[in-house]
Amino acid sequence: MVDLFAWSAVFLAFVLVVAGLLHLYNVDRVHRKLMKIGRCQTTREAFFKEMTVAQGSNFTALAFAGWVLVFVAVAYLYFLVPTILSYSYMQVPALISSPMGFGIFGVIIALGSMAVILGLDMLPESYRLLKLTELYSFYTISKSTKRLIGMTVPALCTSVVLSAYLGTIYPGRSQLAEIFGFVLLDASLIVLVAPIYRESWEGRK
Amino acid sequence: MICLLILVSLIAYIVPVVGPEGPNPDAPSSSGSSGGGGSGGGGGGGGHRQQSIDSEIRTYEQWKMQYPEKFEKLKTILWKDPITTEDYKLPTVLVYYTGNSTIVTRNQPLDITTTITNNNPLEMRRMLDLYLEVENPGSSKYERLNTWPEKIQTNEYNEKTNTTYRVWGILPSFRYLTTTGLVKVRVNVSDGVNKWSSSDYKDIRPPFYRELVFNVTNSPPVMSNFTVKPSGKMRYNDPIEYDARISDAEEDMLNVTLHVCDDNGQDLKNVTQRVKGGVDIIFRANEYGLFDDADAGKNFTYYYTFDDGIDANRTGLLQGPSIRKGPKLFVDRLSCISESENNYWWQWYTFGMRVKNLNPEEYDVVFTLYTSTESNPWKVVDSKKVRVGREPREVSFNMTSPFTVADANQTFSYRIKYSEYDQSGKNSIEAMGSRINPKVVPYAIYSPEMILNLFFMLLFIIGASLFIERKLKRGIEFQESFSRKSGGISSGNNKAGDSGSGEDISDKISSVFRRR
Repeated sequence: MVDLFAWSAVFLAFVLVVAGLLHLYNVDRVHRKLMKIGRCQTTREAFFKEMTVAQGSNFTALAFAGWVLVFVAVAYLYFLVPTILSYSYMQVPALISSPMGFGIFGVIIALGSMAVILGLDMLPESYRLLKLTELYSFYTISKSTKRLIGMTVPALCTSVVLSAYLGTIYPGRSQLAEIFGFVLLDASLIVLVAPIYRESWEGRK
Repeated sequence: MICLLILVSLIAYIVPVVGPEGPNPDAPSSSGSSGGGGSGGGGGGGGHRQQSIDSEIRTYEQWKMQYPEKFEKLKTILWKDPITTEDYKLPTVLVYYTGNSTIVTRNQPLDITTTITNNNPLEMRRMLDLYLEVENPGSSKYERLNTWPEKIQTNEYNEKTNTTYRVWGILPSFRYLTTTGLVKVRVNVSDGVNKWSSSDYKDIRPPFYRELVFNVTNSPPVMSNFTVKPSGKMRYNDPIEYDARISDAEEDMLNVTLHVCDDNGQDLKNVTQRVKGGVDIIFRANEYGLFDDADAGKNFTYYYTFDDGIDANRTGLLQGPSIRKGPKLFVDRLSCISESENNYWWQWYTFGMRVKNLNPEEYDVVFTLYTSTESNPWKVVDSKKVRVGREPREVSFNMTSPFTVADANQTFSYRIKYSEYDQSGKNSIEAMGSRINPKVVPYAIYSPEMILNLFFMLLFIIGASLFIERKLKRGIEFQESFSRKSGGISSGNNKAGDSGSGEDISDKISSVFRRR
C-alpha cells in the first residue's frame, strides 16, 4: 500500500512536470507557425494578446479553486499522517488535536498556494504563458471539458475529506479511504491538465 | 722590548699550568639556586691551547739547557707560596630571617634563609653540606628536615663578599605541627672534615640568628550559623537537618560532634563527623536515627563540640527541634479507572486509594495526585485535604484529565503523595498505569468539530478563488483587462464599481460572486 502511495506521488509529479513542458511547447509551436506565415507581430505581448481567448469568469474561478484544492489535497494526503514520509502534521500534536487543527492546516496550505499562483500572476506580460490564472486562455476548451474541470472541485473536496478521515483514525488506517483519496486526486489533476495534453496531441497531426 | 713581551706571554701561560690547586679550565661550571658569584669558566678551545703549551714547554726546555742561570731566576720570579691546611678557616653559617615577629601561627608562611660566608681562597674552599634542623615543641632534640644535604659548591660565592645563601623551601610553615609552643630552627653544616652548627656561634644580631626560636600558635576552629531544618514543629521522620558553618584558619581536619539533648540539656545521643575546616556541616537526623516515634510531642536541644587536634571548644546549648504528634497512616487499594478501555489521552481518569489513621486521633492530611509519562514526568494533577481517623475511608480524584496529546502512545505512572507518613515510613504510594492509546485526534470525521473544520476550510478556498477571479478578471475578454491595465478604456462593470459609492455592502459582496 505504501508503494501505491509512493507511485501515486511520482505519477502526480510526472503529470504536472510534463504538462508544464507541453504547455511551453504548445505556445511556442503556435508562435513559430504564425511567424512562418508572417501573421504575427514581433512582440510576445502582442502574440499572447492575439492567441488568448477568455474562458469566462466562473470557469476561471472554478479552475483557480481546482488548482488550489490540488495543493490542499496533496498536503492532506501526503503530509497529514506519516504514512509515506516521516514528517507530517502529526508531529505538531498540540495543533492537530485542537478543535480547529484540520481547518488551520488546510487554510495555511491554501493561502500558500494562492500566494504562489498570484505571485506568478504578477509576472510581466511577456511571461504570460507562465500565469496559472490564464492557463486555459491559451486553449480552446469545450463546454463539456469546462464542466469536467468544474467537477474537479467537488472531487478534490471529497479527496480532502477522505484524507481528513485518515487523519482522525491515525494511527489506524483505512485502505479504502486511501485508494479513493488518491484516485480522486489523480483523476482531478488529469482533468485539470487534459486541455494541454489534448492540444499537444492534436498539434502533432 | 722584545724580552718584555716574551716575559708577559710567559706569565700568561705559566700561571694556569703551575698553580698548585687552581680550578680546572676544562671542568663544567656548577650552577644552583645560590646567589653567590660563580667563578667557573667555560672550557672551549682546549686543543689549540694544548699545542701552544707544548711548544712553550719545548722553548723552556731549550732555555733550561742554554741559559741555566736565567732560567733559575725566572723560576724564582714565578714561584707561588704553597697553601697549607693550617690556614683554613671555617665558613660562617647563620640563619637569616626578616619576619616581623617570631610569634607565628601554624599556617603563617615562613621565609627562612641560610647565609654562608667563606673567606678562604677559592682553591682552599671545600664543598659544604647543609641540613636544616628543627626542635619541635615538647621535644628535646633536633630533627633534620632534609634527608639529602643542601650542597654549597666552592665556586658559588660572591666574589666581593664571599657569601652565598640558601632559601629553605622545605619549611614553608609549621602547619605540620600537632602541638603548639616554641620551635627552634638551626642549620647543621659539614665541610667533609669538620661538622658544626649555626647554634655554635655567639653574639649574632637580627636579622642573622644562630638559632631561630619561633613561638608557634594555633588558630582554633570557629562554628557559626546554627540552624535546624525544617523550622517550626516537625514530625520525627521528617528530613531533620542540623546545619552549621565551621571554619579553621589552618584548614585542619576537624572533629565535630553533635550532642542531642532533652529540653533540660541532658545529653541523649551524640554523633561525630570529621570534616575539613571552612565547610558547611550537616547532620541528617534520619541518617543517624536520632529520633523515633517515641519522641513525638517532645522538645529537644543540642550543642556541638569540636576540635582541630590541638584546640577543642564547644558551643552553647541551642534550641531545636520540636517534634510534633501526628497520625500514622495506613494506605492501600491504590487504583486507577479510565473512562473507557481505549485509554485515549483526552478521556477522564479516576484515581483513588483507601486510608486510615493507626493512632486514635483524627488529623487533616493533604493528598496530592501526580501522573508521569515520558513527555510529562510527575505532573501535579490535583490536591485535596481529607480528615483521617481510625475508620478507613476512600480518597479519590474523580474524572481528572491528567494527560495531553503529547502523552499519546506512552505508558503512564501515577502517585498519591500525602503530608504524613504511612505504615512503611513513606509519604507516597505509586503504581504503573496502562499504555495511553496512540490515537492523536480526539474527533471523529462526523463530529461537529470536523464538519465545521472541513466545511469552512473548503468554503474559504472556493470563496477566495471566486473573489480573486472577480478582482483579477482573468476570465473576461483579455482586451478589456489588458487595456485597463494600460490605463485605457474602463469596463462597464468597473465603472459601476467605481461609481457605486452609494451601493450597500451586501450588493458589493453579491457582485463578487455574480456571473459576468
